[in-house]
Amino acid sequence: MGAVKEATPQSVSHGQYLTFYIAGEEYAVNILKVKEIIEYDTVTAVPNTARWIRGVTNLRGNVVPVIDLAVKFGLPASQTSKFSCIVITEVSYNGDNLTMGVMVDSVDQVLDFLENDIEATPPFGTRVRLEFLLGMGKMGKKFCLILNIDKVLSADEIVAVTDSIQTLPAEAVSPRTKSRKHTAESGT
Amino acid sequence: MDFDRDAVLTSFVAETQEGLDLMEQSLLAMESRSGGPELLDDIFRVAHTLKGNATSLELDDLKSFAHAVEDLLDVLREQNAEMTADIISLLLKAVDELRALLSATPAGSPKLTPQQLKVRKQIGNEVAARSQRVMEPNSKAEQPANATPATTAPGIANRTLRTDIDKLDRILNLTGEIVIAQGRLRRMIEKADGELRRDLLELQGETERLFRELQDEVMRVRLVPIGAMLRQNLRTVRDLANSHSKLARVEVTGEDVEVDTTILEHLKDAVLHMIRNAIDHGIEPPPIRKKKGKNPCGLIKISAAHVGGYVVVTLQDDGAGLDRPKILQKAKQLGFYLNANPASDAELYQILFRPGFSTAESVTELSGRGVGLDVVKRNVEALHGSVEIASEVDGGTTVTIRLPLTLAIIDGFSVQAGSNTFVLPQQYVVECTELPSSNGKSGNSGVLNLRGTALPYIRLREVFGQCSASTGRENVVVVKVGDFQAGIAVDHLLGGMQAVIKPLGKVLCGVSGIAGSTILGDGKVGLIIDVPGLLQGMVQSGLQGQIS
Repeated sequence: MGAVKEATPQSVSHGQYLTFYIAGEEYAVNILKVKEIIEYDTVTAVPNTARWIRGVTNLRGNVVPVIDLAVKFGLPASQTSKFSCIVITEVSYNGDNLTMGVMVDSVDQVLDFLENDIEATPPFGTRVRLEFLLGMGKMGKKFCLILNIDKVLSADEIVAVTDSIQTLPAEAVSPRTKSRKHTAESGT
Repeated sequence: MDFDRDAVLTSFVAETQEGLDLMEQSLLAMESRSGGPELLDDIFRVAHTLKGNATSLELDDLKSFAHAVEDLLDVLREQNAEMTADIISLLLKAVDELRALLSATPAGSPKLTPQQLKVRKQIGNEVAARSQRVMEPNSKAEQPANATPATTAPGIANRTLRTDIDKLDRILNLTGEIVIAQGRLRRMIEKADGELRRDLLELQGETERLFRELQDEVMRVRLVPIGAMLRQNLRTVRDLANSHSKLARVEVTGEDVEVDTTILEHLKDAVLHMIRNAIDHGIEPPPIRKKKGKNPCGLIKISAAHVGGYVVVTLQDDGAGLDRPKILQKAKQLGFYLNANPASDAELYQILFRPGFSTAESVTELSGRGVGLDVVKRNVEALHGSVEIASEVDGGTTVTIRLPLTLAIIDGFSVQAGSNTFVLPQQYVVECTELPSSNGKSGNSGVLNLRGTALPYIRLREVFGQCSASTGRENVVVVKVGDFQAGIAVDHLLGGMQAVIKPLGKVLCGVSGIAGSTILGDGKVGLIIDVPGLLQGMVQSGLQGQIS
């Protein structure tokens, strides 16, 4: 455990990682960032938010936002299946701890990564923007992408979301066909 | 001594603050002759307790100051002296200085400032002068003025408990959770079958009833009488009126009306603001008032009452009233959009609440009404309340603030649009009606004929981007914000409910059109619609559409 404690958002450290699938790709998150995993239940879509915000869900009486990383990574929105889960993570930003859910297609396993199991991210070739990654974890012959979850859910991005809302009323008055197209896109 | 001095100090400060508030209020009551000799006793008791406490805490300077005040009060009481305005001013000044000393106390034993020394000396002089006067007509002063036995002091010691509001919040939150969980349990039992079902339902109903009662009790704990807050303003009125060389007095009614502590905090600023406005711009200087045939002393009536689930605070002055032509002119100048021409009073006065109307320039031009009113309105609306203003030339201005009794739970009306359930705060809902089929099935907004008037409506499903197609008959919820009515077209009406408000959190708190969220009976999250925000957005985009 001592080694795990040294984990900082900026550097990859060996320790336990939770791996999960999103759009066919395997990702990993340091287990210290994960609070719990819940079955994908009803997620209420919140209008006027960025498309990668899937909505909010009820976590034992608390309202927790759920994000769809697939959309964030520029892929089509995730489809729900009986394996769909929400990984509840705790993200720190500016000293505040935010609880957020990440929708995943399925949860795989918890792995112990030793130091030499983790490779630096190559400068190109990954599907995900480099800033969201901490490195690549070796899983036998495959690699999984180790997510920098603090960055992925960073509040900067959220502010950008609120900015995009301002444009919505204008869109709402645009010709009907256009606005309906917009709704069709953002619908779940 | 090895006791926890900090803890003692904290409670000393809190207690003394209350004492000083009481002292101030009693002094003001004396000034307006609305109280008997027991007021002086109250004041005396505060000064005495303060002195005692300061002595035991070794706050020497505070003690000496309190001692001086006590001396003066003692003399006054013995002589049964008339409380002149000078004496009251002096004592009020002393209260201020005591407050200043008190606020410096946690940092260490405060030293008297030159100003405070001066006040103490003044008090000392007053005592000396008075005790001399006593010496002369010795006969009468000897007899203690119908020595009021200390009936009020010991027996009435209230059985009260100080506690942190956060703890109460936590308790309230938990009761809210229980109510939600109860609802889900009931639903589950209703679905189940078997012989136990009826017994379970009965038992469940019983616990539900008990929980509701508990919740009501918890809510009541958080309620505090509004009187103390309203009375705090008496002093403000006195000082403000003096500095503007005006005369004003305050009448407070409905002091025992109870409101949630959080609401009270927010109400405080709003009321203060209104009072400032009333004295600053409403009430005329005495000569002008005389000319108009009014009492030279202006009257500000502050009243509080419970109306439905709301607490209504009205602030009425008998001043000059609002200058309608000037406001109209200013509104046109600023290019504000007015619905009707000529605009109705209510509509025109709503303009006062617009941010643009509180510029420094308009303060002088418009005799200042509207300064910061936008802030008041915003604060009140953030609490799901409303502000209204009414006025009569030379008859004065009345401002009415309506706030819900509690922030934690609202009466909501739930509707379904697309696949989601939304909650409209009941306060905005006027009526529900069916959307005529002639209005079509799509489009994010339209106009509907409601008993002869043209009612604009928005289709929630489309505005909020719910993709699913219309499900046949649609309904319209008619909502009213201020004087503006509009319709919200939804797929289904689900009916009224009590919604425990859950914040959306830092991530989503700024989302337009959404005020918050709540957990529905089935455990899903329902979004609470920010009705004014939603309509405002639509009005703005409508205007933009006109321009482009």
